Amino acid sequence: MTAPGRPPGPETRRRSPVAAVAANIALVVYFAFSLLPIAFIIALSLKADRDQTTTYLWFSPTFDNYRTVLGLDGGGSSYVRFFLASLTTSVGAVLVSLVIGIPAAYAAARWRFKGSDNLMFTLLSFRFAPELLVIIPLAVIYRQLGLYDTAVGMIWVLQLVTMPLVVWILRSFFADFPVELEEAALLDGYSRRRVFVKVVLPLVRPGIAAVSLLAFIFAWNNFIFPFTLTSSNAQTVTVSSLAYLGGNLVRFNLVAAGAVMAALPPLVLALFIQRYLVRGLSFGAVKG
Amino acid sequence: MASVEVRGLRKRYGRTTALDDVSFEVADGEFFCLLGPSGAGKTTTLKTLAGLVEPDAGEVVIDGLPSNDVEPTHRGLAMCFESYALYPQLDVYGNLASPLRSPLFRLPASEVDAKVRAVAGTLGIDGLLERPVTRLSNGQRQRVALGRVLVRPARAYLLDEPLAHLDAKIRASMRAELKTISRDLGTTTVYVTHDYVEALSLADRIGVIRDGRILQAGTPEEVWARPVDAFVARAFGKPRMTLVGGGLTDSADGPAFVSDDGALRLPLPPVDAAPGEAVQVGVRPRDLRLRLGADEVPEGWSAVEGRVWVLEHLGRATEVTVAVGAARLAVVAPRAAVAGLTTDDRVSLLIRPSTVHVFATGDEGKRVSP
Repeated sequence: MTAPGRPPGPETRRRSPVAAVAANIALVVYFAFSLLPIAFIIALSLKADRDQTTTYLWFSPTFDNYRTVLGLDGGGSSYVRFFLASLTTSVGAVLVSLVIGIPAAYAAARWRFKGSDNLMFTLLSFRFAPELLVIIPLAVIYRQLGLYDTAVGMIWVLQLVTMPLVVWILRSFFADFPVELEEAALLDGYSRRRVFVKVVLPLVRPGIAAVSLLAFIFAWNNFIFPFTLTSSNAQTVTVSSLAYLGGNLVRFNLVAAGAVMAALPPLVLALFIQRYLVRGLSFGAVKG
Repeated sequence: MASVEVRGLRKRYGRTTALDDVSFEVADGEFFCLLGPSGAGKTTTLKTLAGLVEPDAGEVVIDGLPSNDVEPTHRGLAMCFESYALYPQLDVYGNLASPLRSPLFRLPASEVDAKVRAVAGTLGIDGLLERPVTRLSNGQRQRVALGRVLVRPARAYLLDEPLAHLDAKIRASMRAELKTISRDLGTTTVYVTHDYVEALSLADRIGVIRDGRILQAGTPEEVWARPVDAFVARAFGKPRMTLVGGGLTDSADGPAFVSDDGALRLPLPPVDAAPGEAVQVGVRPRDLRLRLGADEVPEGWSAVEGRVWVLEHLGRATEVTVAVGAARLAVVAPRAAVAGLTTDDRVSLLIRPSTVHVFATGDEGKRVSP
């Protein structure tokens, strides 16, 4: 595995200065291009109402939008509640997916039985169908079961998003894991469960961290399920931001402020486990 | 310690047959070598013994008890994997101590420490105990893997090519060490290797395996002196035994061999085949002698005329390949004796009929000489 930022070795081809400058200019242009939407939304979130439909980045910034969204201006706001609801459902969905998905992925990687591939494919196929396809029957069922607008219901339905991800990615991690390490531990006198906990889990931890983050982002960003299956009680930030678009006054600047804050948790998480993420996504590094 | 036995093991992976009726017995305290080329089923046999591979048919018997249904953890066997299978998250100490910290063999920390240090000392890795195993050379890893086997008492040791990845010099010294260790411990050992020298030097008995079948099991002397078929004969010795195809005839003093092109004629010991039958004969290069000049043919030997085909100088000895008609016979001679020799020189080979191995034709032609 090559760590990012490793100094170029002697094998690196020397480029002419012109080519190097050109490459750097191209990179800067691309960098600006790809960051523009983010810069734009941050700028928008700092604009006063009169500037909100302009596109220029030259204006006098104000934090009023954030105050309004967070209800600090005394106007009252449920943003924090929705934010916490998002956090609860996303974390809950990831945890449930991990608790069920890790053993499932391990079994799928280690135990080939008739139809095991079909089972895995079925799991993956949950991701093929657009969520819209199932949303109406789901809404009906949820109302009848009393799961409508509950955190439990959200966590449950988000399994459609997170579970296939967790199982499929971790299965390939476990499949790459050298069986002989487990066999050695078995002969060392450890039970199968202890082998899993003491030998396998520590070594696939980067993978688990990476897949948890991905699943969290997918769950956090999901819009259609909370949109149709929640109302005021278990609503998430992605849906609640829409409130500022309805009514007689469209407030893009408030939507932007809400979105910027909503983007923080995945960002912070990613920074925290970046070390694992790089290792996890370039797996195959478990060598005896 | 215990005896170990397998009976009629069969294992298929999809369409490939890994084990095809493997049976052998290892007595209590015996050192048994499983020798065969890669893909012969050696590792599968070992893993079946350990309980890591479930056989399609056949039985594993440990200490007289059928053990097919015993979990690997509870078979009381210690195994050294060819891939080392060291725990990458632990250092050398942690790897060596792992068996002694398991629920099954748990010892107090002070005893663990004493045992780990003792084994590390024996294997010459006591200076590496704090080193992560990911930062070891292959030779060091191999020693750690071996140490993890030796550190705890086991009913039998299963060693899968424990010396394969060492360079020649270390391998020879480790082989000697292993011999001492196994003699001192007296633990039943099943040792897998593709190196006949290891097998001959370490084993009490050798099982030659090919394509999932045991071709011959016997003491090193037996498999060397009386190989049951052509494959076993060629599995031992370097240079390898050359086999020459031909037919049996009768002569005044017993059966004789004539090569297909008629160039090689040899008197044979009594054989279990009729005159006219197609056979192949082989002589170990060290059983042949090169006759230079017009020395007299000693009593009990017979001479065969040929030409020098290839000369390979290997230090003190020289390997001379002699062409007799279409047949190529290798012989090892002292370097000084062949100093003046060059390619295409006429030479003759001295052969003793009693050292000629006669086999039926084919890759695994059965032995027909006594």
